[in-house]
Amino acid sequence: MFNNNIEPMFFFDAKGAVLAMNPAAENLLDPIDVLRIYEAQGGGEFCSTCRGYTTEKEQITCLNCYMKNDKDNFSSFQIYLKTRHKGVIPFSASFQEIDSNGTRLLMLRDLTRQLATQESLYRNTMIKNTIKAQENERKRISRELHDSVAQELLSSLVDLRVIKYLNVPDEVLQKLQHTEASLTRLLDQIRNLSVELRPSSLDDLGLEAAFRSHFKWIEKNYGVIVEFIAELHGTRYNNEVETVFYRICQESLLNALKYAGVDEISVRLFETEHFLEMVVVDKGQGFDVNKRDPKGTGLGLYGMKERAELVGGELLITSQLGQGTTVHLKIPTRREE
Amino acid sequence: MIMKQFCDKFDYQLKIDELRAILGCDFISLAIAKSASEGSEITWQYASGNLNERYKRIVLHSGKGIAGIVFKTGKKMVVNNVKDEMHDKELFNYPILVSEQLRSLVAFPLYQLSRVGGVLLVGYREEHRVLLGLYAELSQQLLDGHIGDFEIKGLSVS
Repeated sequence: MFNNNIEPMFFFDAKGAVLAMNPAAENLLDPIDVLRIYEAQGGGEFCSTCRGYTTEKEQITCLNCYMKNDKDNFSSFQIYLKTRHKGVIPFSASFQEIDSNGTRLLMLRDLTRQLATQESLYRNTMIKNTIKAQENERKRISRELHDSVAQELLSSLVDLRVIKYLNVPDEVLQKLQHTEASLTRLLDQIRNLSVELRPSSLDDLGLEAAFRSHFKWIEKNYGVIVEFIAELHGTRYNNEVETVFYRICQESLLNALKYAGVDEISVRLFETEHFLEMVVVDKGQGFDVNKRDPKGTGLGLYGMKERAELVGGELLITSQLGQGTTVHLKIPTRREE
Repeated sequence: MIMKQFCDKFDYQLKIDELRAILGCDFISLAIAKSASEGSEITWQYASGNLNERYKRIVLHSGKGIAGIVFKTGKKMVVNNVKDEMHDKELFNYPILVSEQLRSLVAFPLYQLSRVGGVLLVGYREEHRVLLGLYAELSQQLLDGHIGDFEIKGLSVS
């Protein structure tokens, strides 16, 4: 048990000097430290290996060292040790008395893997929450712009038009026309802003309508034609699902605009037995999916995947240099009755 | 024939074809803004030396794109090297540069009744082709700085 256990074990006497360690422990530590521990007499030398442990207040601390602290329970805690190959890394440890002489046993378990898993889990939930928060905030600002700012502006425009029919001199009339024109422009800009943030048609009319107006906008702004094949016939879905479809479509189109070098993109939206699916295809430059040298921030594709996962969906991006790119999104349907 | 040009509507297409031959540039386009009451959209209405028809689909607003910026500022815009002066990530905001693969360009504001009514874009598919001689040549070609109903500004070298 002592020799074959893959979990490192250290035995300490009552004063804290190392009595013995198993082969796993010897392999773990820096050989110099192992030598020092074996040569030294009396306590204290383990400190060259131990870098502290985690408390509620601090990540790594030596305050109330477990060696000298009898009050607290150290049956399971996190300890940081200097190792031979990986530097200082965290371990899950248990430290307990094993006989009446005060001999104590420290057992370790490598935690790096578990911590990495935990961290990525944490990051994923963070990103999902960020996406949700961003979406909600966009919705709020967009609504605010559309419902109060634009409305207010519209009513003052109407007031302005009324003045034109009153008895006013030509000079004033001309000036009024200029003001009216610039206010109209302002109103247009606010409406555009509101739609860019989040199209209210997505909430009010559904995916197809929102897609159509977005594609028209793309054609006007970038001169790129989007061929749209809609097979949903106005079916509505869960609000979250619709948002994910809209955003991923937006991002895919933007990527195609930026990098594919095409002037035609096709989007197909359809439903299969259990899934709502979307395929965005361009016949442009394409890219190496496995290569890790993004032209942009590289966050776009990542964000798309995150969004898809948010509603239990699947995103498949296939591309080859010179062969164009296909983005395939598939989300299980929970249709709103 | 000559009379027709002056009496009837000015033939912008003929003029920019001519200009392109004389100036030796790769692409010339003329953007004209709709009147303010129609929403002040700007479109590239005439083009010479274009690679495709994509320019026809582009509709810009004040402040957006090359024409939008010149329209809003009322000042000439010069880009000597698109690659250096425009960030890769922004380039797609200037669709005409992408679709026509322009590498250097100059865009002049065209005035009508002391307001910017259009934009004249002179573009090249190579870097650093906008030379000082261009301005002199242009002012010689455009009678008293006019092209059709518009007065071109920004020809003086400053």
